[in-house]
Amino acid sequence: MVFAHGFGCDQHMWRFLSEKYSARYRTVLFDLVGSGKSDLKAYDPKKYNSLHGYADDVVEIVREFAEGPVIFVGHSVSAMIGLLANLKAPERFAAQIMVGPSPCYINDGDYIGGFTRADIESLLETLESNYLGWSSNMAPAIMGAPDQPQLGVELTNSFCRTDPDVAKQFARVTFLSDNRADVPKLKASTPILQCTDDIIAPRAVGQYLHRQLPNSTLAVIENVGHCPHLSAPGLSIDAIDGFLAKERL
Amino acid sequence: MQTTQDGTFTGANHTFCAWVGYSPEELSGKLKFQDLLNMGGRIFHQTHWLPLLQMQGSIAEVKVEIIHRDGSAIPMVINALRRVEQGAVVHQLAAFVARDRDKYERELVLSRKRFEELFREATRLQDEAKDRALFAEQMIGIVSHDLRNPLASIAMGTALLMRGELDEGKQRVVTQISRSKDRATRLIGDLLDFTQARLGKGITVTARRLELHTIVAESVDELALAYSGRLLKHEQNGDGTASVDSHRLAQLIGNLVSNAMTYGGADKLVTVTSTVDEETFSVAVHNHGKPIPPALQGKIFEPMTRGGQSSGTSRSVGLGLYIVRQIAKAHRGEVGVTSNEADGTTFTATFPRATPPPPPPSAPTRP
Repeated sequence: MVFAHGFGCDQHMWRFLSEKYSARYRTVLFDLVGSGKSDLKAYDPKKYNSLHGYADDVVEIVREFAEGPVIFVGHSVSAMIGLLANLKAPERFAAQIMVGPSPCYINDGDYIGGFTRADIESLLETLESNYLGWSSNMAPAIMGAPDQPQLGVELTNSFCRTDPDVAKQFARVTFLSDNRADVPKLKASTPILQCTDDIIAPRAVGQYLHRQLPNSTLAVIENVGHCPHLSAPGLSIDAIDGFLAKERL
Repeated sequence: MQTTQDGTFTGANHTFCAWVGYSPEELSGKLKFQDLLNMGGRIFHQTHWLPLLQMQGSIAEVKVEIIHRDGSAIPMVINALRRVEQGAVVHQLAAFVARDRDKYERELVLSRKRFEELFREATRLQDEAKDRALFAEQMIGIVSHDLRNPLASIAMGTALLMRGELDEGKQRVVTQISRSKDRATRLIGDLLDFTQARLGKGITVTARRLELHTIVAESVDELALAYSGRLLKHEQNGDGTASVDSHRLAQLIGNLVSNAMTYGGADKLVTVTSTVDEETFSVAVHNHGKPIPPALQGKIFEPMTRGGQSSGTSRSVGLGLYIVRQIAKAHRGEVGVTSNEADGTTFTATFPRATPPPPPPSAPTRP
């Protein structure tokens, strides 16, 4: 079972799910190049100027670390990265679990992605104005977390720290991507985990994907936000378990 | 402020309420914190803020724009804490208005953008200049190569004419044509050497062990013919052989003598001195006349540098001394100049006597 995190943070996002599934599967977690603790020297702005660059990495990881076909769990933009990887090497994937996926974030005619181009520009501006605290180049501040003493000396924001230039490009590549043409090509069994209240992947997008994906199921999770694997891990695990049982995986 | 896990306000102090233009009653239970963010802030809230709050229990110094009831944006810095109270998750938020910081950061971002633009522009101009220089040098190479063919025809034609019976007037014209042709040939040779030194593998030499004074004397004799009517003398010091390319050494002496003839007085002596020492040998060319200005001496071996007071008859585009230096370098030697009012001007090329280790890789020189 391979977990791929979405735009914003890193593999720590999967802590509840990977813990649960590591008993049944060999779990593989990684940071997308440019995020988390990935080697920034490996970040090639040309390669990662499209999601295909990341998808090639996924194929490489799957070939390196998995013997048989994998269950790929992709959050947000990584759901589409997984889809592209699957199209490149379908024999390597048993199922594509998509958490909060969206094939296209920008509204386009009848298609409701949820955003306009100006919204994405506004995100880039927010990223830029948080340059100081979020830049991996800056000396990190240390802050205690009263409720979780084990995280007491964890570096503030460290899970989401990235190089600001990388963050900007990744935001552009993510939110300006349009993979709607690729969606119907996916043959693998695809459960979609859709949150009830998610501005990044609104319900209309989940329904669109469910219609367009030939072999999909739609599980709606009662959750506000874009990260049900963090804020509603129990419901997320229930939905995934239900799917795995049905597919006998 | 305090909110539930999904962001719904459960309380806010009067300061925050005054900042955003809502009463506590209008916020509590009715609005979510993220409702007060612009779209960029909302995405950031979902992709960065909430996961972090979940994972590390707190989050510090996030800068967002909070939208006032009247639609205006207020830059704020926010810290958040996640607590569990009576089994329910609550988020506690502290906000600070950060207008000055916002202004300052915008200026930083702007000046970085300006700097990046300037940097791009400078890089572009530099690349263009490089391209132009390369193109010019290539053109020199091509043109001078192509000029050789018509010059060969002229050489053949004048040689044929000289064999026939010519009256004195025509004889003079043919001789003049022949001299001009020789000068053009030398100039083209210089240009080709220059291009090869700058673009190609450098000036090539085929050194052999020879009696230094003998080959210098031969060169001086030839030059004496070319500069008939001028005073040219050869002096010798020491004795022995030197490892040298005789054609290149003749070219070096020719260029230095041509220079001396141009800048020395027409009635003054030009002296070529060849010297053999234990470890080195040297060739020096001396002329009287106005010294080279000190400022010019440092760069006189660079291409296109000319002494200011040229009489203009035999000087070309200022490649002679550059080639002299390239020839010296190709022999592992060096060339220098001393010039002052009292002693006149002396160019001295000094070389090691030992046979160079084979093969001497003379890389193209680029400034």
